[in-house]
Amino acid sequence: MKRVFKHPPEPRGGKKYWRSLEELAGTPGFEAALEREFPQGAAEFQGGEVSRRHFMRIMGASTALAGIGLAGCRRPEMHLVPFTRSAEWVIPGKFLFYTSSMPSARGYVPLIVSTYEGRPTKIEGNPYHPINDGHGGTDLYAQASVLDLYDPDRARSFLEKETESDGAKFEKFLDQLIAAYSAKQGDGLAFLMEEDPSPTRERLRAEVEKRLPMARWCVYEPLGTDNTATAEEIGFGPGVRMRPLLDKADVVLALDSDFLGCAEGTIEGIKGFTKRRRIDQPGGKMNRLYVVENRYTVTGGMADHRLRIPASQVGVFALQLASEISTATGDATLTGVSQTLGKTGATASFPAGWVEELAKDLLANRGRALVLAGPRQPVGVHLLAAAINSALGALGNTVTGIVAATKPAATIGDLHKDIEDKKVTTLFILGGNPVYDAPADLEWGKLQQSVPNVIRVGQLVDETSSLATWHVPRAHYLEYWGDGRSADGTYVAVQPMILPLYGGWSDNDVLAKFAGLPKPVGPELVQESFRQISPEAGADFDAAWNKFLHDGFLAGSGPGMEQALFFLSAASGAYIGENANLAALSGPGNYEIVFTPDFHTYDGRYNNNGWLQEAPDPITKLTWDNAALISPATAKELGVRNYEAAGDIIEISLENGGKIEAPVLVAPGHADRSISISLGYGRTVTGRVGTGTGCNAYPLRTSTAPYFAFTQNVAATGRRGALAITQEHFSMEGRAQIREGTTETFEKNPTFAKVMGMDAELSKAGNPSIYTHPPLTGQEQWGMAIDLNTCTGCNACVIACQAENNSPIVGKEQVINGREMHWMRLDRYFASSEGSDPDPEMLFEPMLCQQCENAPCETVCPVNATVHTPDGLNSMAYNRCIGTRYCANNCPYKVRRFNFFDYTQRPITALYRGPLTQKGAPDTIKMQKNPNVTVRMRGVMEKCTFCVQRIEEARIATKVMAGASDRVKIPVDSFQSACQQACPNEAIVFGDITEPESKVSKLRGSPRGYRVLEYLNTSPRILYLARLRNPNPRMPGAEKIAAFETEYKAEPTETYEGQPRNGYYP
Amino acid sequence: MANFFPRWANWIPLKIVVILGVMGTAAIAGVWYYFTPKYTRVGYQPVQPVPFSHEIHAGELGMDCRYCHSFVEVSYHSNVPNTQVCMNCHSQIQKDNPKLAAVRTSWATGQPVTWIQIHKTPDYAYYNHSVHVNRGISCVSCHGQVNHMSVVYHDQPLSMSWCLDCHRHPENALRPREDVYNLDWKPEDENAKSFVAKYGKPPGEEDRDFSRDDVKLTQLEIGNTLKHDWYVNPPENCAGCHR
Repeated sequence: MKRVFKHPPEPRGGKKYWRSLEELAGTPGFEAALEREFPQGAAEFQGGEVSRRHFMRIMGASTALAGIGLAGCRRPEMHLVPFTRSAEWVIPGKFLFYTSSMPSARGYVPLIVSTYEGRPTKIEGNPYHPINDGHGGTDLYAQASVLDLYDPDRARSFLEKETESDGAKFEKFLDQLIAAYSAKQGDGLAFLMEEDPSPTRERLRAEVEKRLPMARWCVYEPLGTDNTATAEEIGFGPGVRMRPLLDKADVVLALDSDFLGCAEGTIEGIKGFTKRRRIDQPGGKMNRLYVVENRYTVTGGMADHRLRIPASQVGVFALQLASEISTATGDATLTGVSQTLGKTGATASFPAGWVEELAKDLLANRGRALVLAGPRQPVGVHLLAAAINSALGALGNTVTGIVAATKPAATIGDLHKDIEDKKVTTLFILGGNPVYDAPADLEWGKLQQSVPNVIRVGQLVDETSSLATWHVPRAHYLEYWGDGRSADGTYVAVQPMILPLYGGWSDNDVLAKFAGLPKPVGPELVQESFRQISPEAGADFDAAWNKFLHDGFLAGSGPGMEQALFFLSAASGAYIGENANLAALSGPGNYEIVFTPDFHTYDGRYNNNGWLQEAPDPITKLTWDNAALISPATAKELGVRNYEAAGDIIEISLENGGKIEAPVLVAPGHADRSISISLGYGRTVTGRVGTGTGCNAYPLRTSTAPYFAFTQNVAATGRRGALAITQEHFSMEGRAQIREGTTETFEKNPTFAKVMGMDAELSKAGNPSIYTHPPLTGQEQWGMAIDLNTCTGCNACVIACQAENNSPIVGKEQVINGREMHWMRLDRYFASSEGSDPDPEMLFEPMLCQQCENAPCETVCPVNATVHTPDGLNSMAYNRCIGTRYCANNCPYKVRRFNFFDYTQRPITALYRGPLTQKGAPDTIKMQKNPNVTVRMRGVMEKCTFCVQRIEEARIATKVMAGASDRVKIPVDSFQSACQQACPNEAIVFGDITEPESKVSKLRGSPRGYRVLEYLNTSPRILYLARLRNPNPRMPGAEKIAAFETEYKAEPTETYEGQPRNGYYP
Repeated sequence: MANFFPRWANWIPLKIVVILGVMGTAAIAGVWYYFTPKYTRVGYQPVQPVPFSHEIHAGELGMDCRYCHSFVEVSYHSNVPNTQVCMNCHSQIQKDNPKLAAVRTSWATGQPVTWIQIHKTPDYAYYNHSVHVNRGISCVSCHGQVNHMSVVYHDQPLSMSWCLDCHRHPENALRPREDVYNLDWKPEDENAKSFVAKYGKPPGEEDRDFSRDDVKLTQLEIGNTLKHDWYVNPPENCAGCHR
């Protein structure tokens, strides 16, 4: 049958849509505009009947429309652009999930990456990885790393001597370089790398060293674990690392070790520790944590007993502890180590009974005790900790050995010497940023300029790049093929999610060229490593490789890295005597300066990441800055203080000439005469986000004193520096939002948390409500439980929420105005039995929309923009909101956030200029946005939705599966909220509270449960589980532990600047 | 003292009031009618880069909607076919037709065909195709009888109240799943006997005899039966569509 292909007939009614009147009038732009709109039709204007008709039709339709004149009001013409050829696996509108892992010197973090139509949007932990035990979880750096990929300030081009070049030219240059150095066996060539436990990189290193034996290989991490590694080498032999097994330890002592913090700890350690903190029924056993530190860390917040001493005295503390334990055990090794170290003669005194009782508790738990020393501490402390662990029978029980993933390399000091001796003619700096973060005494900037050829591979054009001959854009880990070892030694994959956005090179690409291979285009380098590591790769390579990529790790490859630990008694003596010092306050009147990793920027590398910049530091709640942390007593001594959103600036100068200025931040629980300052701020060449933030502490840091310095020269400058702090209040104003007790209280009175504060006065019948509320008739009822006992305060949930829900950053100025947009915050409270106690406790409480059943916000909304859903959500319809902000004012939990500006459309530096600035977000930032969540605009209220997009996705998936049936109930625990998924500790559990088998229902059954501000009768859907502490009753000060049991009864005692305050208000 | 204003000036205030009233009414009525999706969207019929006729493909040839819109049952988005799908047939059939020049160019160059979007929900409304088609809502309910359109136009207003009409009374649109893609389906075509055997009797009509061949079912009877049998309960709260 013959078919006649008809041209589309005239549209009915003459209603057609045109973009503008120019087209209609046939102005000179007409043809061009038409060209854009009808690519085929435009060419037909040359002549012929069809094109004339076409023209007449356009004119006719346009004329018909002219009378109405609404063309400008109509929606713009939008296009649907399908692929030309189908792409494998891609379904438009559906997420695709890939396993990968994030490189980290402390072990790769196993991940699952969500990609949407080819762009990665969200990072989650890989729940199937052995360290994750069925529930994923990440740290906040992994959560925020997706933003680094899309950083609009990323280096976009190859630069040769600051002029634009390209990849082909660089490759040509590289080939010439390789040819030249191959002839010289690599003499004069040096590589400066970051620490990276990647087997492929190690393999390439061996190849390079084979071909170019004279080349220098140097590894530098400003916040590395050199001291730990040295001690491990002395104590256990070369190539052996300790791997603490925190889930096996009943008693843990942390010596200046922030093993629960994201900057020093690992997911494995955090998970292991909190696993022993789950306590469902009275009488359950819980581990006990002792912490000795100079400033509050999240680890200190979790402590059952915390000793506040200057960081430089931790060595003396360890020595005293060692002598107690060696006396009791008679352990020869420990006696030997402690006697040798004791000769340094450093002394300090600690609260009476602390060391003795701690030693007794450790001894009583032999084989179940664990001592950890922080990477900041000198080698001597690490050796003492290892020897104590050995004496306590911890080796093989609570700590095991693991083969080091990398071979030792030269240090930056060695490289410095070689460059000074003019032995280096070409220097490759892959990652890192030595001009900014190398020890000050090396004067790296000047040094680097003395090398004829410096090739820098970096993600941002930074301090180091600006002093390099070549700058090469570096690929982000979501852009290249790689591999690594996670903290437990398991072999993990790094898969690219997207082609390098700016043609970046990975470290392996550069090294492959030196190894005589072509620049890899696919996974061939990693496949080669996999072939060597996997036992199954020989039989059926494709199957083994695909399984590896699917799982994200090679099952069983971790135990292969295990190594027995034996403390080598003979090897230690001489070395310790010579090298292992124990730092101590070197004289009277000295202040100790302690350099710490920064919560926001780590060592400076995340400086241009807005999410991390704006994530409040868990302890100080500081954003966008670092500050000099000092104790209230030291503040008085120096005559400095904090103001609303500001702090006095002090000047710290060292004898060696280093000098910095920093605003002070008075920190409760800080050691006296000790100043903590974090590294990673004050960058001079960085992106738009990081520019002008904080002060640089690296000038104080030298290779001989990388973690502590001592000085008498600390003085107030009389000036003030602005500080954006999100929580000014330290106390609860007597309302008992956060509740804690001891294990003993819990045993005697399991429901103690339900009757604290005002809740003790509640009548059994409950409060009546004067409002009527919609019926909760949904099949599922959503609720949450938050276990304060396993929440370490790491902030991963905050960043996860921001990534999932497209929350904008607002900038320092707006944070000072209290306009931060996080839907979720971690309230931090300090508690002490007496108001002026310098040793307060610290607790965290994640606070988000409580999804009140009797929601105060709903009753005051004049336009019904916030209403209740039948499944118990307090929903927010953005497009209805007119921005009265009544709801936020009526919210007792203060969890609603208002878009005062168009944060997603305007640059945060020019918010007040409104329409005078350019509009629109950079394309790459748009690429990160979650397509399932509305990007809010100015004038709209927003708040936690319980991840309603995930609920609806799950509901839709269930209904799609149900099809022509009535099985429409969402399966139990089939999805998670973003905060729950990010929490490594399962402290946040979300789900259907009507389903008895759901995780959340089980957790909500705990006797520790209570609801915040219960007496207001808001009936929140979030149940908090009270915090428990497990004090040792014989420790000095044990009776004061769990101070919140009595906190709300405390009278205002301390007067500061005439203001009566509860607790601390410096 | 002489009158400043002539006598006819006394009528001016009244005239102003009347004229303003008429103009105001006209403005309100104009906005009421012309600014609604019913006017601004229905009938929108842009000229597509390829003169593709649904009438020929879906109507005369009887191709299933899902041949081209292949992910409608799994994704929120009902995809537009990529060039490869067109070329599956048109590499052999009508392979020299000038109307398909754009498709062939796309296939040769790898540059996709830029179709003009006709149906669009606002960015803050999250419509999901898969849940509708899997639960007995036909394409025709929102898109009209596309199989009779040689050039696709906007058939329904897709306004929020229009959505809610159906979410409140899904029985007006529900049909057996096997007829979701049958755009010519009519309730009276449904065989009452087999329908009742499969899904049960319509609620409230348990006593009626459906075994006779001349019994015709109405849309409401079919809709109510399916709504009950499948537990169809479309969301009516904000969070169902706005996130």
